[in-house]
Amino acid sequence: MLVIDKYAYTNRIVNWSPKIKGLVWLMCMVIAFQPIVWLKAILIVAVAADTIFVTKVSLHRYLKWFYVILPFLLLSIIGIVFTMSASKTQLYFPIHLFGNYFGVSKAMLPKGLLLGVQVLAAVVSTYWFALTTPFRQILDLLVSLHLSNLIIEETMLMYRFIFIFIDSFEEIHRAQNLRFGYRNIRTSLHSLSILVKMLFEQIMVNYEAMTHALDAKLYDGEFKVGKSRPQND
Amino acid sequence: MIELKNVSFAYEKNRPTLKNISLKLGEDNENIVGIIGPNGSGKSTLFLNLVGMLKPSQGEIFVDGVPIKYGKRALNELRKKVGIVFQNSDQQIFYSIVQDDIAFALHNLKLPQAEIDARVDRVLKELDIESIRNKPIQYLSGGQKKRVAIAGILVLRSEWLLLDEPTAGLDPDGKRRMLALMKRLVANGQKIIVSSHDMDFMYEICDHFFILNNGQIVKSGRKKDVFLDEQLLNDCKLEQPWLVKIHQKLHLPLYADQQDLFNQQESELKGREQQ
Ligand SMILES: Nc1ncnc2c1ncn2[C@@H]1O[C@H](COP(=O)(O)OP(=O)(O)OP(=O)(O)O)[C@@H](O)[C@H]1O
Ligand SMILES: [Mg+2]
Repeated sequence: MLVIDKYAYTNRIVNWSPKIKGLVWLMCMVIAFQPIVWLKAILIVAVAADTIFVTKVSLHRYLKWFYVILPFLLLSIIGIVFTMSASKTQLYFPIHLFGNYFGVSKAMLPKGLLLGVQVLAAVVSTYWFALTTPFRQILDLLVSLHLSNLIIEETMLMYRFIFIFIDSFEEIHRAQNLRFGYRNIRTSLHSLSILVKMLFEQIMVNYEAMTHALDAKLYDGEFKVGKSRPQND
Repeated sequence: MIELKNVSFAYEKNRPTLKNISLKLGEDNENIVGIIGPNGSGKSTLFLNLVGMLKPSQGEIFVDGVPIKYGKRALNELRKKVGIVFQNSDQQIFYSIVQDDIAFALHNLKLPQAEIDARVDRVLKELDIESIRNKPIQYLSGGQKKRVAIAGILVLRSEWLLLDEPTAGLDPDGKRRMLALMKRLVANGQKIIVSSHDMDFMYEICDHFFILNNGQIVKSGRKKDVFLDEQLLNDCKLEQPWLVKIHQKLHLPLYADQQDLFNQQESELKGREQQ
């Protein structure tokens, strides 16, 4: 189960209109990509603090969610700032390599850092939105923006099937773990390969069952996603 | 009425899963028909044949006297008449939110929104799942998902309802509700075909039974016809309902259901007190 999703349903501002939350997110994105750097820095701190406040998530857990994106972010920054150059003077920490110099480019370093801050600001803002907006509200927002049906359908189905996928993954993994499938590297690799194979097989079987179920519900090629109705009386 | 004439079906050639089955479902006073049989006997396969999702390799199936046709439009008409709820709930819930999923079939029928809302509200109430109507599916328990899956077909208000293992995973209250719901549906004129491994449940609710073993119908009839033969049930890896057991072992009368037993025993006790 994705814990992220749970916060979306239990935070302090869950009942705010999704349009307002969408607007706030948009504003944050504008700030993240405008040129003034100190504004971005303020944004990161302020939005992160607000996220922790409204979702009541622990700082530790919040930081953990950044582990997912950190490798990508670091890799792209490294890709930008490290270069080869013929002259030493353009580089910080030059290393002599095959007649050239390898190091951090003086020209690119600020750009790399700027990119880092920019991305971080955008990610922090997006986490804020994702952690405070239940999926149903996201759908409502998409519907009220008059986006094409196809996009809305896809979003809805992906959201549903990600969870089915995660559930199957967890089930198989738990069953293997219980029977010592992950005791050492060798058994882990073996178990993991079986897990992947089983997931694929399940997808095939599920596909057939799903077609039957769609037939039973007279599926005609369209998933209608309308506005939500409030819980009434 | 649904009638099967010499129906056979095979997933793989020369290894038939259903073997030459002939039967009539839904004759007079047979509103709830039970299909019982051990794991792998072919119950779910039979159900899929009844709604045209699988096509018999031999024989034909007649619905109200007309043989099933396998064109897309004809099948859609059939499925408006015969609704089916499968064993596995997860595979038949597509939407992320409960009430959206329940409304799905109705949107496919292009019903007006007001009608859809009314039907969804009604079925939410009937299955006692109003409190979870806005919940995302992944936070539901297995039994709750089962109810959502059933609700998604109930809204169609089809003449026939095929329920494959409707009580699996339900708590006692869920089972009681299922029992009551099925009785109510029948009172409204719907007909039900149900399979389950819960013999007590089946004994209580069904008017007519078919025992399926190894792809063949080995016995059919009413309560007293099929459940008194302990040997046959054991051979089919089935069990007698407890009301039949106390009838045979303790020589009590054969009661049609629990309530019947309690009522009669109570009046007997009263009779004794008065003496
Ligand atoms: N998609 C399929 N492909 C091939 N064989 C299948 C398929 N589905 C079922 N079978 C086989 O057909 C036989 C009957 O299966 P079926 O699912 O109809 O049994 P069942 O009576 O519903 O059992 P249960 O009580 O476990 O639900 C089994 O031997 C099964 O292995
Ligand atoms: Mg089955």
